[in-house]
Amino acid sequence: MIIDVHAHWGPWFFTMDVAEANLATMDRYGIDRAIVSATEAVIYDAAAGNRALASYLETQERLLGYVTVNPRRLREAEADLAAYLPGGRFVGVKIHTDYTGSPVGSAQLREALTLVAATGRPALVHTWGTSVLALAEVCADIPDLRVIAGHMGADGFRYAIEAANACDRLYLEPCWSHFPAGRIAEVVAAVDPGQLLFGTDATLIDPSSAFGAVAAAGLTGATAERIAWRNAAALFALDITA
Amino acid sequence: MAIEDGSGIPFDAWRLVGGLEVALDVDVLFGAYPDRDGPPGAPEQVLRLLSGHRIRAAAVASLRAALFDVRSGNDELITRAAPEVAPAGTPAAEVAPGAAVDPEVVPVGVVDLRDPVGAARELERLAAEGVRAVRLFPDEQGVEAGFPSVRHVARRAARLGLVVLTGGDVRRFWQPFAGLGAEVVFLDTHFYHLGDFLVAAAEEPGFHTSTRLLNSPDALELAAAELGADRLLYGSRAPHYEPLVPLLRLATSGLKPEEIAAVAGGNAERLLRRPQS
Repeated sequence: MIIDVHAHWGPWFFTMDVAEANLATMDRYGIDRAIVSATEAVIYDAAAGNRALASYLETQERLLGYVTVNPRRLREAEADLAAYLPGGRFVGVKIHTDYTGSPVGSAQLREALTLVAATGRPALVHTWGTSVLALAEVCADIPDLRVIAGHMGADGFRYAIEAANACDRLYLEPCWSHFPAGRIAEVVAAVDPGQLLFGTDATLIDPSSAFGAVAAAGLTGATAERIAWRNAAALFALDITA
Repeated sequence: MAIEDGSGIPFDAWRLVGGLEVALDVDVLFGAYPDRDGPPGAPEQVLRLLSGHRIRAAAVASLRAALFDVRSGNDELITRAAPEVAPAGTPAAEVAPGAAVDPEVVPVGVVDLRDPVGAARELERLAAEGVRAVRLFPDEQGVEAGFPSVRHVARRAARLGLVVLTGGDVRRFWQPFAGLGAEVVFLDTHFYHLGDFLVAAAEEPGFHTSTRLLNSPDALELAAAELGADRLLYGSRAPHYEPLVPLLRLATSGLKPEEIAAVAGGNAERLLRRPQS
């Protein structure tokens, strides 16, 4: 059992054609469920992308959705959270800090995360470098917020360790197109195993990157299971029979 | 609807890799980066890592040569390699300490782009020693693609028939090699930049790429369809990157078995170990 907590649905602007690749990509790596955000919503128009994803999710049992929030469009965000979260097909919220020009330390991101906290759902937030430290500060400041540091800071994974240890409601997921030796093992050794998740960034990145990097860490038993799915199932309140 | 948990190891990469072996990895380093915590990059450790990933031979370059002293770094490496490329005058007993190294080391010379005059001399020396390839470290040496030294080294390497393995952003580093008939392997081609590589390589039959960062779901397949799988080479950057990731990507790709074998070493053998004319 594997749950991918960082995946996408829709086309990309790079030289690739993966708009419909979700299920085939998941099958390659034994990923049972993926929580996806619409690329359109992340990159360009949150409302239009959320709407399109809502329709698509009606046709796909193995995919669950993130409602994407643009922190610069909070009224629109509030409406989308109210419209899509209660239906059961959307289980969390996605916020991309770069595409929306909303750095983790910005007032609008803080406001957006305050909105998310009120829904009781976790938010997946893009982090890179030291920004994960700022996310830990926001996490500590907003009661009941549960936040996933997407890419666990990428090259800033050592800051992600610090961030996770600073706020126990901050979770880490590892996807990145680079895979420096020992990155996963170092994080797993230093962070509460209950705060670790698995994510791939598919269909932008093939799951081989995150899957291979995690496999290289040689995780076994309970830790591997927690990262693979147990933590995600608990965080997103998914109905899973072990 | 409840999701049923299946049994088994969730991250069983070796089951997916199956029987795939790498005949020749084009991107391996001995030595450590002083600005990073690790790994130490000691040759014995690197060779063990390769062996554990079924990598049978590796084109290895020296970080000592790239970061500090070209000559001694290159010589250290060459003495570990096969006798036919050991420096002239090296006693047989000193060749390849540890005996028949498994995996085999295919030595890749290094030049320093901050010293183009010395680099040209080192290229001549390496070629005379029987080394077939040279590796460039523009990022580590703070050299940009437009610097005269890069074009100078590119021309000299092409004239000597040396294969160039180069780091750097392919969108910039293709240019100093254009029009030379050079054989080049771009080691840092990221799938974000695959389109640029494809259009540049379409006009340059000697342009190749490492598969290391071509990890979008269709990058290998697309490159093979556009250019042919003979332009793709497995490169791990062991021990500084996880060799398992590009291995896994290749094993699970949509390439045909003969294409996978070519990427996993056949193409590198052709480029780096063909008989010299």
